[in-house]
Amino acid sequence: MAQSLFNIIVFPGFLFLCLAGVCAEYFDRIFHARMQNRKGPPWFQPVADFIKLSAKEDIIPEEADSFMFRAMPVVAVAATVTSFLYIPLWGSQALFSFEGDVIVVLYLLTIPTMTFFLAGWYSTSLYASVGAVRTITQLFAYEVPLFMAVLAPALLADSWSLSGIAAYYRAHPLYWVFNLPGLAVSLVILLGKLEKVPFDIPEAETEIVGGVFTEYAGRYLAFFRMTIDIEMVVASSLVAAVFLPFGLGFGSVVGFILYLLKVTAVIAAICLLRTIFARLRIDQMVDFCWKYIAPAALLQLLVNIVLKGVLSQ
Amino acid sequence: MTREENVQKQLAGRFPEVSATIRIARERRIFVDVPEKRFIEVLDYVREELGFPILCLIIGLDEGERFGIIYVLSSSDGNIVTLKRHVPRESPVIQSVYDRLPNSEIYERELADLFGITVTGLPEGPRYPLPDDWPAGQYPLRKDWKPEMLGSKEAAINE
Amino acid sequence: MSRVTIPLGPQHPALKEPANFSITVAGEKILSTSSRLGYNHRGMEKACEERTYIQDMYLLERICGICSHSHSTAFVQTVEEIAGLDVPRRALYIRTLIGELERIHSHLLWLGVAGHEIGFDTLLMYSWRDREVVMDLLALLCGNRVNYGINTIGGVRRDITAEQIAGALRDMDILEERTRYYIDIATSEPSFIARLAGVGYISREDAVRLQAVGPTGRGSNVAIDIRATDPYAAYGEVDFKVITDSHCDVYGRAVVRLLELMESYRIVRQVLKEMPDGPVTVKAPRKIPAGEAVSRVEAPRGEDVHYVKGNGSDKPERVRVRASTMANIQAVNKMMENNNLADVPIIIAAIDPCFSCTDRCVRVIGGKREDLGWRDLRRHGISWYRKHWGIDFGELNRKLHSLRGER
Repeated sequence: MAQSLFNIIVFPGFLFLCLAGVCAEYFDRIFHARMQNRKGPPWFQPVADFIKLSAKEDIIPEEADSFMFRAMPVVAVAATVTSFLYIPLWGSQALFSFEGDVIVVLYLLTIPTMTFFLAGWYSTSLYASVGAVRTITQLFAYEVPLFMAVLAPALLADSWSLSGIAAYYRAHPLYWVFNLPGLAVSLVILLGKLEKVPFDIPEAETEIVGGVFTEYAGRYLAFFRMTIDIEMVVASSLVAAVFLPFGLGFGSVVGFILYLLKVTAVIAAICLLRTIFARLRIDQMVDFCWKYIAPAALLQLLVNIVLKGVLSQ
Repeated sequence: MTREENVQKQLAGRFPEVSATIRIARERRIFVDVPEKRFIEVLDYVREELGFPILCLIIGLDEGERFGIIYVLSSSDGNIVTLKRHVPRESPVIQSVYDRLPNSEIYERELADLFGITVTGLPEGPRYPLPDDWPAGQYPLRKDWKPEMLGSKEAAINE
Repeated sequence: MSRVTIPLGPQHPALKEPANFSITVAGEKILSTSSRLGYNHRGMEKACEERTYIQDMYLLERICGICSHSHSTAFVQTVEEIAGLDVPRRALYIRTLIGELERIHSHLLWLGVAGHEIGFDTLLMYSWRDREVVMDLLALLCGNRVNYGINTIGGVRRDITAEQIAGALRDMDILEERTRYYIDIATSEPSFIARLAGVGYISREDAVRLQAVGPTGRGSNVAIDIRATDPYAAYGEVDFKVITDSHCDVYGRAVVRLLELMESYRIVRQVLKEMPDGPVTVKAPRKIPAGEAVSRVEAPRGEDVHYVKGNGSDKPERVRVRASTMANIQAVNKMMENNNLADVPIIIAAIDPCFSCTDRCVRVIGGKREDLGWRDLRRHGISWYRKHWGIDFGELNRKLHSLRGER
């Protein structure tokens, strides 16, 4: 019991993820800034932002549904933190695992997006509503390719649990190379999931002010921002676990360092993509996902089905 | 004959009553005073037949007894004809040229707001440039208007 | 989907200055728009009637931060025409030089703003960094980065030296190289093109009918450039092309601005090389005779028109200003037809709007105001920063100059 509580609250649960999220945000911001030829924020900036926001007044619009408005940030954080418990960080064993947890993790990672939608919808403000509709439109565009891309390595490993996938690739060290197209697909989709340029359409500042977060202030906004930071870590860890399962058998110290490097590389790749593109329009985004990303994910699936046939002989 | 003299000759030939008031100030600048009665005719003639289709600006002037309204028309080769009309101060009413020159709308709204000249024939739309709660009957660009004429409420906003 | 009317402004992240657009959308598609301006009306024309010509010149220079030189040039040109002053050629060349530098900084600024509006912040950071080169050059030539204060009635207030000319020529090379890079981005970066091409379409006929000016008109193939058609200052003596583009959309306007930058570098080089010798100012009378004049200047955003009527005293009878945005704003509602909500910011930004120009200047009515002079403000600023942040501006300045020397 005490062990479980420690796992959920301290490591690798909430507190660890908060710390990791803050570091990830800092890394993302400074890397972005350096690529844009700026100096970037000081190292404590994400923490300072969090503290500053938490100290501000919480304003709940009169028209908004007060309960939903306050509940959504908590639900978002809870869902993201929970999904992290099923992801193997180093070695091949996650904290909890069961056959089929890869589906659960993917669904848990959908929940923050759904809470963004609900938060925007129940804010009842015009900008927030437009942002909410955009969030959900975008979700429909990237969710299917994401599932296809993540399930392809699982198919090859013949296991529906993340730990099982990791164990398979640990046993067959070079097989992860087959999944590189899926890695590319999931990196692009992460941009949509984390709402970063070119897919930051739901919160496009110059178009719809703050999108779904327009009405949010103070603690609740701080929670949402923390969710996005944590989501960045969790989603990067998921990508690292599924698509970059190499070097798993070197013990926990080397494994942890390797894990950090993998996550950093994924975040750096996302950051690079968001630096070199302009924001797309929602119709262009949907077109792009169905025309290029979904076929690429499908191709990965087909390749893995064929590979499985060939390798099992 | 230069373009300016050509314009002068054609305009004087068509409208003898304005011939005395045509003034070529410098190259590419022609000033004309037009009697109110024939103003629209002259405007159309200059615009369509002399080749000055671009309305740069409408200027209001407070000349005491009457208001002067100057229409600055330009050709695509850089010449400018300014046509000036007058309306009496007691009943300042002009017909909008919106149907001919759709970009006149904003300039005519300015005349209405800042000089109190009634412009008929403008489409429905917000006023420009004064705020919606600006007191009626206050026209800031008239020479007899002083800021003190505003009530205390408006003055307080500016403190 | 039901219709929703979304207000954009007076305060909105996409707008740098207050204006209001009511946009009726069904889903993401725009059905209709209407605009309301005037939030920045500052009663400047009235204020001009109560000040002397010299005071007016400084006041009018502050109509707009970006095209300040255009406004002051247009104003002094009208006054010089009424007074019959013969401005020295060297002064005209310096006015042309500053005018072009202003266009360069404005177009680079626009490029950054356009990038920001479509979520391409990297472009914003890059182009604004490079814009610092021309800002520094302006500060070197005029002593100021924004309101240059170089014009005076009858000429210009500062002469430029041979070293400054050499520095300016060097800066032109840097800027030209960077602009080539941006032209390359604009013509090859797919997400940039995807967001600009086909957006905010206005046909040549509509652009003529609604009388769009400047790059907005030229982006729709309307070949009107006041510098060429109604030459002022030294533009009659330099060689340059009027850039037009037939895309008729936001992309066309972007291309026009980028290519105009290249023309501006050419003009600046010609002006610097052919700068005639002689005085830079003639004495202007304090009282300007009765008379009227209309003057036009091609500001970075399009043509500025100034009308001045003198009555023989030292104060004008009437001053009328029309900034370029006032002409272009009427085309914006047309441009928004059949576009997406997401395109609104870039369509508005594509005319390079400046609503403060359009609405014009400030007046404190009643009430007490503590007046700080420029000197006091400067002293206050320096001591505030030293006290709160420990910043020593003297040291910074020396560093800046040594950096300049190295480059």
